[in-house]
Amino acid sequence: MPRIEEVTQQLSNKFKDGITGIDQPGATQFFADIKKEKVKDICNEIIKMGGRYLVSIGYDNIARDQTLGMIHTFAFDRDNIFCGIRTSVPEQNPVMDSITPDIPNAGWSEREYIDHLGMKFSGHPKPKRLILSDDWPEGLYPLRKSVPWNIQPPSAEGVAYQLDECPEGCTVVPVGPYHPTLHEPAHFALYVDGETIKGCDYRGFMVHRGIEKLCQTQLTYNEIPFVAERICGICGSVHATSYAQSVETAGNIKISRRAEYIRTIMLEIERVHSHLLWLGVAGHLIGFNTVFMHSWRVREPVMWLGERMTGNRKTYGMIVVGGVRRDITPEIKQDILNVMKKIEEELIVIKNAIVGDTSIHKRTKNVGRITKEDAIKWSLVGPVARARGVDIDVRRDHPYAAYDDMQFSVPVVDTCDVWGTVLVRVLETFESIHIIRQALDKMPDDGPILTELAEPIAPFKHAIAGVEAPRGEVVHYIITGEENRPERWRVRAPTYPNLQGVPLMLLNNELADAPIIIGSIDPCFSCTERVQVVDIRSGGVKVLSKAELEAFAKKK
Amino acid sequence: MWLSSKIKQVLMALKPGVVTLKYPYEPHPVPPDFRGQPYWDHHKCVGCGGCAAHCPARTIMVRDLCQEVRVMLYDGSRCTYCGRCSDVCPEDAITMTDKFELATGDKRDVTQSMELFMATCKRCGRCYEHETVNAIDRMSLKGFRYDNLEMRAVIPVSTEHLDTALLEKTEKYKRPEKLGE
Ligand code: SF4
Ligand code: SF4
Repeated sequence: MPRIEEVTQQLSNKFKDGITGIDQPGATQFFADIKKEKVKDICNEIIKMGGRYLVSIGYDNIARDQTLGMIHTFAFDRDNIFCGIRTSVPEQNPVMDSITPDIPNAGWSEREYIDHLGMKFSGHPKPKRLILSDDWPEGLYPLRKSVPWNIQPPSAEGVAYQLDECPEGCTVVPVGPYHPTLHEPAHFALYVDGETIKGCDYRGFMVHRGIEKLCQTQLTYNEIPFVAERICGICGSVHATSYAQSVETAGNIKISRRAEYIRTIMLEIERVHSHLLWLGVAGHLIGFNTVFMHSWRVREPVMWLGERMTGNRKTYGMIVVGGVRRDITPEIKQDILNVMKKIEEELIVIKNAIVGDTSIHKRTKNVGRITKEDAIKWSLVGPVARARGVDIDVRRDHPYAAYDDMQFSVPVVDTCDVWGTVLVRVLETFESIHIIRQALDKMPDDGPILTELAEPIAPFKHAIAGVEAPRGEVVHYIITGEENRPERWRVRAPTYPNLQGVPLMLLNNELADAPIIIGSIDPCFSCTERVQVVDIRSGGVKVLSKAELEAFAKKK
Repeated sequence: MWLSSKIKQVLMALKPGVVTLKYPYEPHPVPPDFRGQPYWDHHKCVGCGGCAAHCPARTIMVRDLCQEVRVMLYDGSRCTYCGRCSDVCPEDAITMTDKFELATGDKRDVTQSMELFMATCKRCGRCYEHETVNAIDRMSLKGFRYDNLEMRAVIPVSTEHLDTALLEKTEKYKRPEKLGE
């Protein structure tokens, strides 16, 4: 019996009428509808059976049955299974059990729907506002269908986020919202005792742009890839691919093998680019700017290559539902091979120059240490997890695009610290170059790179798609809808789980190491903060006129 | 260990020499298929609105002032240079140019607008740009549109016949501040 049936059997035997239905659309995913009273037990059982928590999806189903839906998703990495546990609560009394006490990483997902849908989770350890701005009116739940996408409530004065209580004997050191070591706005309040960090509270979501709501109400299936791509400036193709795959799975759309190979190549080029970028940033964070300058110098040809392949240095705009937009011609193929050869040579030089450098060791070894068990408990992903000995990689565990044809190894180290993340990323870059060569070599020529969508996509189908981004695993969940657009589209970027593990990594470290620890997860705040409502901070913004600006500049 | 690393680092830095480009003092040409600022050729455009319907950034707006006049406005300040408009245009009226140095203090520098005179089809009463035949078949944006060009806001409604009341209402378009507004 295939493993997926074993899992569903085992669940229905154990919970009998706690599970009201099981929907298994393909060989790799299933969705179980359950009674809301059982949500905690079933989720804990799945973790016990070897599942790994991914993300939760809340959605408004009021128009159909006066409920708010909630889906907890899990992955079984050894068996290539994704599963969704679906339940719902009545609109009038939207209370359900929180799964956060046992699965800490669900904390943010649940808080997200407290903010956005007005759900309540009994037993949640920290039900504070997470996403909406502090002056957003109470009782206005932006993800509900009754709220227009472009609503712009007037701003309010004198409201602020209440930080967690500072532990006895500690001092608060605020880092951010604007801070030299964080390249995007986020606020960490570090509680320090002398030089040692004893705790941390995080207030982020300052660039929350309402993308999910916008796409669910305004755009159509094939416009969303371009918006998805702009969730992140660095892993653009990752989000577009993940979105396109979720729609293709839900709508049963088969794309040509050539298109899948081109997607694979784009994703790996992106990984080479991203890891070189991170290596530079990491060097910069520990004050080692030679590494910064030179890994960015090596990175630059990737940008030029992107420009020749796709028409733009980054945000390639290659991937749409049904395939890709531009083909790889023989000239481009040779071009890619040349660029990769050069990068490989240069990266070996950089690697040799830094692996033995004791000053780098001193700044990264034994810094941000957490155990493998904690990494699993907090559902960390990507290089952050692989540096703690957790052997997961979506490309190998849940193959997509053309990864089933590729031979590659997944570097895993068990130093459990920041140094491990450096190693993993450098090794992965070499693997990526290796994958690009294989893909270019084996690429078949089997039909159009863009498959036209013959029929409309059937509504109310669910699908999960995962893609291994440079920073870790990206998960997109889709519920197809009417009117040629998704009913619900949920994006979970890798920083979303990893950032929740940062307080643990910071604990008992030196204050001076905070930037590199936060930097070691390669945080991408804009990915994490995508989602709903638009333009939350408006009003009170003073716009300088050109003349004023010039006068201001001259005065300096 | 430390010293040999430092020597390797010096070599790593010496070999490439100076890599900084003299841009903007020396121009930096772009490759052939670059996606720069889109350019509309009003001789070719039939006013089908396909580009407006497919622009992910909702940068292209369409406003039907009366039965015969359709204004199309491209607001470059929002454009993402994805090239989707030029992909879908049935008349090849849009080219992605090689222009990328678009920073400006005046929004009008990156705005293009076209006023198209549309003829009425005797059979169905819809309008099309009369210089090109059979344009009606290619219309993907059916009916009349009412985007607010002043606010640069896309209004997602279209009607089969020109609705003057709606035209007036959309002139005063404002984003809602409360539920039910
Ligand atoms: S290039 Fe893209 S964003 Fe710009 S007008 Fe065309 S479709 Fe819209
Ligand atoms: S798609 Fe082409 S023909 Fe149609 S309105 Fe746009 S520019 Fe004109």
